[in-house]
Amino acid sequence: MIGIVMIILLVVILFVVGLAGYIFAIYNSLVRLKNDINKALGNIDVLLKQRYDELPKLINSVKGYMKHEKSLLTDITKARSIYSSAGNDIHKKAQADNMMTGALKTLFAVSENYPQLKANENFMQLQGRISGIENELADRREFYNDSVNTFNIRIQSIPDVIIARMLGYTAQEMFKAAGEEKKDVKVEF
Amino acid sequence: MASDGDPIIYAGAGFFGGLYLFYKGFTWLKLKKLIENMPTSKVRAIAMGLVEVYGEVVPYEKKLLKSPLLDKDCVYYSYSIQEERGSGKHRHWVTLKSGREMVHFYLKDNTGEVLVDPEGATVDMKADLNVTSSLGKDPPAAVMQALKRMKLSHDGFLGMNKTMRYTEYLVEPKDKLYILGVAGDNPFVEDTKGQKNEEDIMIQKGKHGDIYYLSDRNEKELLKSLKWKSIGGVIGGAVLSLFCLTLIIAYFGLW
Repeated sequence: MIGIVMIILLVVILFVVGLAGYIFAIYNSLVRLKNDINKALGNIDVLLKQRYDELPKLINSVKGYMKHEKSLLTDITKARSIYSSAGNDIHKKAQADNMMTGALKTLFAVSENYPQLKANENFMQLQGRISGIENELADRREFYNDSVNTFNIRIQSIPDVIIARMLGYTAQEMFKAAGEEKKDVKVEF
Repeated sequence: MASDGDPIIYAGAGFFGGLYLFYKGFTWLKLKKLIENMPTSKVRAIAMGLVEVYGEVVPYEKKLLKSPLLDKDCVYYSYSIQEERGSGKHRHWVTLKSGREMVHFYLKDNTGEVLVDPEGATVDMKADLNVTSSLGKDPPAAVMQALKRMKLSHDGFLGMNKTMRYTEYLVEPKDKLYILGVAGDNPFVEDTKGQKNEEDIMIQKGKHGDIYYLSDRNEKELLKSLKWKSIGGVIGGAVLSLFCLTLIIAYFGLW
């Protein structure tokens, strides 16, 4: 009789410990995922800030040469101010980032028409640095979106959805590319 | 009193072994969840903290090791030479020689390369060498050479081969490697002096007991193996401890 009680007791203990372990594993991984999203966004912010810090130097180096591209330089300044006022608003941040990426792409393309500017070593260095940051940014945006995607799938899947609801977790927004960036590029000869 | 060969000793060991396996199953489950949830970083965009990267091994400053058994260039090796001793129930393996050594290396993907210090990592690899020699079966030529260098012999009584086991795990240049570790400061580069982001970074063991895991499998294979390990650990561990408890109860007549 004692033997049967011992076996039943062990089965119950293993079941309870197993269930608790599984719930803890889900809880911990959801909390970690949520924090990873914030960290990934913070890592994008670091690069955005680095890029914005380079902008005054870039504008100074080009404004003497590109007097006819005033609107382009205004776009860059405008994107910079949107980013500064974005705070934690991911949508606004993405908007400023897309606007800036577009404006910088155009600026570097237009700079081809200014041979004197292309010969300016300072400009070339800045262009190299900003292009490097752009590439890193693209990778970190992708990383952020991967993290958000995993999180959004997890909080809608069974059994994670139960714990996610208890924690009040809701779907997170992706760092989206602007409509302009998704359009096909028209090449004219 | 229970003697050496008493089944109760094996049942007791099996009971506690089962409980350990049950616990281990959860640690594998935790690792699986962590790997599943962590997106792979491109080397160019690595940020400080826990990261997952996948790429090709490139030697750092041409520093390479020679593996003791296969005599191959590598950045990491672990090996063991074991001999079977005893007979019947008392048959067991004795390690004659074993070792593990590693040097820093780069991990390269299509965006750049980052320095890796493998010290302190859990290395999960498929064996590059796992052979035995026994009566009428010589070890491979490379192993025979290695035994000669180490002044060991596979010959036993009357020149007959002893039963020996040779195992070696290697990380060689150009091997594909999966790493889950902490991206921290690169001590060989002055802060912010690196031309690229990844030059200031070295992947290493974290200071707060973070996981540090290296594997020659890709993420998909790794997740598959961890899935079966965790299921096997939890269910197998529970069944083993229950079975052994039943044996103990039966032994003491507690029904």
